[in-house]
Amino acid sequence: MSQVNVGEEFRKAQAEPILPIEKKLIGWSLGTGLVLLVILVIVNHLFPATI
Amino acid sequence: MRTATKTAVWPGAALRRADNVELAPRLSEDWLSLIIGLFIFVLALAGIANVDLLGWVVTTSVWNDVGKALGPVSKSYASLGGFGALAATYVALLVLLSAAAVALKSDLRKFVFAFTAVFSIAYASWIVGNFANFAAVTPAELQKFGITWSLKLTNEGAYIFALITGLVIANVFPRFAERIKEAVRPELYIKIAIVILGGFFAVTAAGKLSLASSLLLRGVAAIIEAYLIYWAVVYFVARRWFGFNREWAAPLASGISICGVSAAIATGGAIRARSMIPVLVSSLVVVFAVVEVLLLPLLAQTFLSHEPLVAGAWMGLAIKTDGAAVAGGAITESLILAQNAAEGIRYQPGWILGTAATIKVFIDIFIGIWAFVLGYIWTNYINRTSDKASIREIWERFPKFVIGFVVTFVVGLYLALATPADIATKVPAAMGEANTIRVVFFILTFFSIGVLSNFKKLWQEGIGRLAAVYLVSLFGFVIWVGLLISWLFFSGVKPPLAS
Repeated sequence: MSQVNVGEEFRKAQAEPILPIEKKLIGWSLGTGLVLLVILVIVNHLFPATI
Repeated sequence: MRTATKTAVWPGAALRRADNVELAPRLSEDWLSLIIGLFIFVLALAGIANVDLLGWVVTTSVWNDVGKALGPVSKSYASLGGFGALAATYVALLVLLSAAAVALKSDLRKFVFAFTAVFSIAYASWIVGNFANFAAVTPAELQKFGITWSLKLTNEGAYIFALITGLVIANVFPRFAERIKEAVRPELYIKIAIVILGGFFAVTAAGKLSLASSLLLRGVAAIIEAYLIYWAVVYFVARRWFGFNREWAAPLASGISICGVSAAIATGGAIRARSMIPVLVSSLVVVFAVVEVLLLPLLAQTFLSHEPLVAGAWMGLAIKTDGAAVAGGAITESLILAQNAAEGIRYQPGWILGTAATIKVFIDIFIGIWAFVLGYIWTNYINRTSDKASIREIWERFPKFVIGFVVTFVVGLYLALATPADIATKVPAAMGEANTIRVVFFILTFFSIGVLSNFKKLWQEGIGRLAAVYLVSLFGFVIWVGLLISWLFFSGVKPPLAS
């Protein structure tokens, strides 16, 4: 039966600074998301759903 | 105290995920759900040629005399009676799912015992939930049953009874839960149900095609938003505030923000994380999904009963794992329809559940693409390795049951809209029979979700830190951003009224 001690895993894990590529990923993802949100909400209001 | 998370159960047993999915089956649950779902769909289509192959499936009515609770869905099988229909449904599912168990490399004898227990307990809970004092909604129904009060949960609210029974077994009788685990397969059951649901949703959509297509487009928009905003924020929270390293933070962010177990596993594979990390994340996903299923539909009924489709989209976006999200959609639909019915507004059923399920299906489609993006960044820029992420992985991680949902939806829509009237008019009845067996799979899903939710996992050493990220991100951010996005895209859009 394989077992994993989660607490031990965290203690062994070394701290890793956030790399520039991670900052880029977070920034681009969030930025694209927010810009698209504005655009899609405008489109949504221009073309409302009809029954 | 040293506690541990188990990743294998007994020697020789197939390794499984937290949601009890085998990691190395002969045929994946995904493909099996596609095959079984399409098989049931084809049986239902025989109804169009006046051959009733599914009329024996058991259906349950709201009751105050248990002898009248059960019956076959079709009058042509009336001679079976209620318990005959129940037995026929049990035997048919046992045969079908035993074949699936063999394909999954499960122990057939254990499966037969386990499925018998799962089906019996789950369906018994469903029957109890249909008791008139729990399920009757309108004054006319109260009068019909001669009762003065009811919880007004509707018959579909009985899913909650199956879920709670499963939770009791998991947390009070864990040894029994372990014994029936072979048949506790929420992902298999819900994926089969979703494939069948495609045909039923097509019939619902055919009546209001423009509304259905706008809902689909809004669903896609909502999901893109959820992916881009959710993932980035949760990843940042895990890395900066909780100090997780990248190997933990990426699967955790995907598990919390996107689609639970599947996303955590896909991301873990994509960034080449050790396999135990997504497994641990998944065990939390499953537990928190149950909390959401119990909580969010009630919140939706209280605050969103006049915005039914916002509520449906919210369930699809906020609740993790396919089973729990679609289950949450079903409960939300029953509660909101009941609330509106009590106020004299009768919405057509199917739209809230359809919105939740469609959003969840779209989310599943995007998991492979997002995992590829992460895999590309990780293998090229973070942990440079010769084992680069390849575009083929998108297909490998594509949820195959989605193909079944699309096929049944397109075929159902074609039959309802593009065939002569003598055929088109028979489609709703055929899909209605398939939908009855879909309900049985939903019952099995709810019960199974409960049985897999052992809350003791939350007290394991070290997992508290994972749970803290989950708690902060889910209840502090994901749920409310999901609500905002659902509101932005679905507010003011109402389901059609029942004719």
